[in-house]
Amino acid sequence: MTTRLLRTTAAAVLLAAGAGAASAESVTISVWAGGSGPNDNYRVDAIEMAADILEREAAIRGEELDITVEKKLDNTWDDFKQAVTLAAEAGNAPNILVTGHEDIAPWAQSGLIVPVEDYLNLDAWPINDIYENLMEISSFGGIQYGLPQDAESRPFFFWKEHMRAIGYTDEELDALPESVESGEYTLANVLEDAKKMVDQGVVEAGYGFYPRQSNGPDFWQFYTSFGGIMEEDGKLVLDKAAMQDFYQFFVDAVEAGVTRKNHIGTPGDQWYAEVASGKAGIWHGGTWHYARYVNQEGLEDFFGTLVFSLIPAGEGGRPNTLTHPLVYVVTDQADDDLELIAAELVKIASEPRINTLHAIKSAHLGIAHQQSNIDLYANDRWAREATERLLPHANAMPNNADFGTYWNAMWSGLEAAWTGQKTPEQAVNDVEAELKNSLGEAIIIR
Amino acid sequence: MNASRNIAEPARAPVGAWAAPARVRLGWLNSSKGLGILLLMPALVLVVLFFLMPVVLTGVFAFTNMSTATGITGGAYQISPGALRVLTDRHGMGDLAERLGQPTYVVDDRGLAALEEMGIDPGIIAGLRRQYSGETYSSRREFERDIRNLPVRPDTRTVKRISEVFSRSLGNARFRSSTALIAAADAIDPDLTEEEKEALTATTYTGWTWTNDNFRRLATSRDTTRVFFNTLFFVAMTLTLFNVGYAMLLAITTHYIPERPAGIFRIIWFLPRISPVVIYVLLWKWLAWDTGFISAVLSNFGVRPRNWMLDTAANAWFFVILINGFVGASMGMVIFASAIKAIPESLFHAASVDGAYRWQQIRHIILPQLKWPILFVTCYQTLSLLTSIDQTLLATDGGPGGATEIWSLWVYHTALNNYAGNLQYGLGAAMALVLVVIGIVLSLIYLRLFNYNALVAKPRIEL
Repeated sequence: MTTRLLRTTAAAVLLAAGAGAASAESVTISVWAGGSGPNDNYRVDAIEMAADILEREAAIRGEELDITVEKKLDNTWDDFKQAVTLAAEAGNAPNILVTGHEDIAPWAQSGLIVPVEDYLNLDAWPINDIYENLMEISSFGGIQYGLPQDAESRPFFFWKEHMRAIGYTDEELDALPESVESGEYTLANVLEDAKKMVDQGVVEAGYGFYPRQSNGPDFWQFYTSFGGIMEEDGKLVLDKAAMQDFYQFFVDAVEAGVTRKNHIGTPGDQWYAEVASGKAGIWHGGTWHYARYVNQEGLEDFFGTLVFSLIPAGEGGRPNTLTHPLVYVVTDQADDDLELIAAELVKIASEPRINTLHAIKSAHLGIAHQQSNIDLYANDRWAREATERLLPHANAMPNNADFGTYWNAMWSGLEAAWTGQKTPEQAVNDVEAELKNSLGEAIIIR
Repeated sequence: MNASRNIAEPARAPVGAWAAPARVRLGWLNSSKGLGILLLMPALVLVVLFFLMPVVLTGVFAFTNMSTATGITGGAYQISPGALRVLTDRHGMGDLAERLGQPTYVVDDRGLAALEEMGIDPGIIAGLRRQYSGETYSSRREFERDIRNLPVRPDTRTVKRISEVFSRSLGNARFRSSTALIAAADAIDPDLTEEEKEALTATTYTGWTWTNDNFRRLATSRDTTRVFFNTLFFVAMTLTLFNVGYAMLLAITTHYIPERPAGIFRIIWFLPRISPVVIYVLLWKWLAWDTGFISAVLSNFGVRPRNWMLDTAANAWFFVILINGFVGASMGMVIFASAIKAIPESLFHAASVDGAYRWQQIRHIILPQLKWPILFVTCYQTLSLLTSIDQTLLATDGGPGGATEIWSLWVYHTALNNYAGNLQYGLGAAMALVLVVIGIVLSLIYLRLFNYNALVAKPRIEL
């Protein structure tokens, strides 16, 4: 009898100890964010805040959960994607990634990332408040792979003083965004005005139109401006005429002396300093440039100095802008529990209040309806005006595993035409040949 | 008589009782052949690990379509919308694609029985049976919404487990093996032919496959010719102008100036090689940027500031060759200079007595003696220039407009650099393999050209 009692007690003690050990869980979650500068720290800090909340939730349920968050911000995209893919091949992928939505397709195919919908209730707060189109952009093949982390759009900027110098009145400048939106002010006018600025000595030669100085999604906007579309019914599309017109626009800008022939490869810091100090007349950037101009480059009166608008239409196209939302994705891990915790963290980090910290600090746009009811967001003039003026016209790049190949070909064609190595026609023909060769029937060429 | 055998002899003396069997086992060590292999072992291991393996792996990768999307370790079978489209377009199996692809969830007895087996709360199962038995859903989200509306509300993880059991389509399903895929497809359509099964397996596979496509792409791409001639131009110019030509000039001029200044001069030319490459290239960039030194000086003379390095293709080549050449020249300089030093002084004195000019000394004494070092430097530097990437990557990154894109850089851009996160390992490996083949062929040609056999005559004495 005593032995039996002893044995039962021992078993009970062991069980309790085992249960205790199981519930006192200590995990490390790593989160890497690409393309993130000094204003983007909340991309990873939000996960840390979420970990605190998740730990408290677990404590209330009577579980002990201890999460250590390892954060890493990478300033560039190329290096970040290289690091992530190589780490994943070596089996060391970080738990959470903040990356461009276009990575979802290849990374889902390879099994590098897992669908968040396998772990989360998509009808629950805060996911049910996120904009439907952003949720769509973070999915692939009908599966919700990620959650949007931020949204943005990419405006055209005009330096008011230089515009006045070539004859614009204040009223005309105020009306400029609308005339861009209505298609009245086109890319042809951009070249005209830029040329006036250079000819009249308002800006130096090559600084009339001062585009992005490195590869980026921005250039697809000009393809759209000339009527190009990137994808149709899940298949990539190359519109040769639109592509050629888009190349021709940059060649014309170089020939008119308003854009530098050797512009690509200009150091990024130099570029930011120049546009924020009035060295350039007209250029294009992103909503997040606001934070950079004001916080780092010392532009004091943003709204008094600049006009911003959509990317003007070219011939045969429409005014537009591109949104390139970043997404939180969860990587495949040997331990399913880690994926669950990572997904929960991503969910909590999408709380409107937490996301607003990132949106306003980095001058990105919000991801959820309720953010307009948060004072920090609603009182921010830039977030409000940029959302109203730009977001309704925003496109996104397709989530397609072959899009990277298409993008590389587009960029090398643009580079070759811009720097005068090939004529726009030759460049487009080479892009076509390259795409036929590499993608075959996966791309429609018209 | 074999010298090494003599030396090895004393080791044979037995040291203790245990030495006898050891002597038998290690007997082969007593021959120079055996010892030689043993001593070579570390080197052999290193050669296999760091030379042979990479080359062999490059060769293997080159015949695959590996990329980030396919992974390198193998794949799964996923009935993605893309795969279904290929099934419809290429194989004309639109009907099957439609049946497989439509996401459907059916609350049936089979699923309910499975739930019981999984040990799901009986209350949930009863609720499902009572409220939703026989229902069909086309979206996972809707079905899961209904599961959550049950009187006994399951947690999210359980909801996911339940919905999975009732899934009656393969849309977006991911299978680890082809047998699992075929079994699942059979359950939906038992009349699948072998051909259809094969097409299904092939189109849904997400991993890499063997292919010759990389070489076909290389052979037909317009970029190949351009990059090939870029590389040829880069190697030929840097090699002749700097790595051999300028190095020779430095070696000969320093031979004719006094020892001390010559040493200082050589050290100066060594700086590009011993300074870290990032800093070295950054100095060049400071020189050439539109806010850099050249622009600053020339702006005083009314020349518009510009990025001199990336201004035109010719400018970019000028800088790329200079940047690489200054690094390469130092090695040739050291080798040539020491070879000149090895020429007996008396030859120069005799030539001077005979009234030979410097040029005649160079032509008839120095150059003939440098045949072997020139071969070595040419051969070595050709191969190292072919694979050199760091200076060019940092300086122009192949720009402007791909004008200075050389083969090794092209490999890097393809295999390890993609803005949209899809690195093309397979294609990159095929490009790298071409480089390996070119390197081997060039080495053979050099050996033939310089007549290696005549150069290194068979020794008359045996050591």
